[in-house]
Amino acid sequence: MTNMNDTPFDYYADKKHDHTHGHHAPVTGRDEGPPSEYEVMSRAMQELLEAKGIVTADEVRRRMEIFEQDYPYRGSRVIARAWTDPAFKRRLLKDGKAACAEMGVDLEATRLIAVENTPEVHNLIVCTLCSCYPRELLGSPPTWYKSDNYRARVVFEPRSVLKEFGTLLPEDVTVRVHDSNADMRYVVVPMRPQGTEGWSEEQLAEILTRDTLVGVTVPKARSQKSEGRG
Amino acid sequence: MTDKPLNKGPHDMGGSAAGPIDTMDHGMRFWEKQANALRSTLTGKKIVRLDALRRAAEDLGDQYYKLAYFERTTAALRTVLLEKGLFTEAELKAKMAEVRSRFEVPREPHSSAGEGTDR
Amino acid sequence: MMRTRPKRAKKPRPSTYTPAPGHRFSVGDRVAIKRAFPPGHRRTPYYIRGKEGVIERICGAFPNPEELAYGFDGEPAKVLYRVRFEQKHVWPDYQGPARDIIEMEVFEHWLAPAPGREKRAKATRSG
Repeated sequence: MTNMNDTPFDYYADKKHDHTHGHHAPVTGRDEGPPSEYEVMSRAMQELLEAKGIVTADEVRRRMEIFEQDYPYRGSRVIARAWTDPAFKRRLLKDGKAACAEMGVDLEATRLIAVENTPEVHNLIVCTLCSCYPRELLGSPPTWYKSDNYRARVVFEPRSVLKEFGTLLPEDVTVRVHDSNADMRYVVVPMRPQGTEGWSEEQLAEILTRDTLVGVTVPKARSQKSEGRG
Repeated sequence: MTDKPLNKGPHDMGGSAAGPIDTMDHGMRFWEKQANALRSTLTGKKIVRLDALRRAAEDLGDQYYKLAYFERTTAALRTVLLEKGLFTEAELKAKMAEVRSRFEVPREPHSSAGEGTDR
Repeated sequence: MMRTRPKRAKKPRPSTYTPAPGHRFSVGDRVAIKRAFPPGHRRTPYYIRGKEGVIERICGAFPNPEELAYGFDGEPAKVLYRVRFEQKHVWPDYQGPARDIIEMEVFEHWLAPAPGREKRAKATRSG
């Protein structure tokens, strides 16, 4: 069983390609090494709550599975649909939650605003105050999204941050940063790249990695596996 | 006389000076996925409010900067669950000792695996 | 083909937005964020306090997070807006072009009409 802390990679990009590099840490996995104080605290709290009938182990396990096996795959499907169906894209941009519901994607409490990249505007998402993120659409956020350095810098030097992700934008493109600080959550609808003409929704979903849906990178019309980051 | 901005919480970091971003996603350890699922279960069942969890994290003060992401969220959850009286400090302390003893492994000469702050 | 309506009341279609009756501001209004620094849980970032922007959209009315954080029900709901700002206005040392913008959500009680500004052309709702 692979230690998740070994080689950094986009777990979800890997899974989309259905490669078996042995990186599929199952939900029933274990961490190696002695637990930190906070791991002990978290487990203890859960056990106390279970003992008092406030939550069950099953409920928590089911949430883990949903976060692992369901949520991370929704966003790319929804955006791939938007790429192939212009009327759906319009509805998605008008009301993200309603459009997802159309596709049977239940965002639960999340209120989604989809923002569209155009040749004139590039969108970029952050939550400076904590880590607000459309989890029911994209799964758990990547560690960089939750990092202090991203939260601090992307609002005042977005282009510099984009450069760190390997994304260079022309000066005549407007960078539009969204600080998701209250009740709304955001997803970027990237521009569909050249070279994807005639692709199926499934093929399109594969290049719509998480990073492209937050706006730090743009999708490319080729396999992502050489990049090591989604 | 302090130079600190009036009532600026440690979490309110938009625009603060900061270093390079580690652009690789390091994923979540198993206990972090479980902690995340616990939080999600509790907020989904409306046992705790996300707003209260955020406030409790913000109230960590300088400690906020010393903690990694899931350490902050765990500390915040502890605060809110204690506030709600869902367990006592004594109960938590006892349960933590019990959990810790279950994890007891023979001491190795090398240091433990880095917890990895999410910075 | 005509269909009879189901007798059971339909579940309301999910929407990102909620109604905001009595909203004080409209899309395109120039607003100023209060230059206030109260203690406690606030969802208006420090860096935007006192800045001026334009209403980009009305999100709806939501329970006040400043109250929810302390165990109150946050009612009555407060209108939440998205506000657009010019980066060069927000950050005096902003290095990018003047066209760059930043947007965020601001509750109505943090907003006032921008002093001495006439209404400009409507902010586009480019999503």
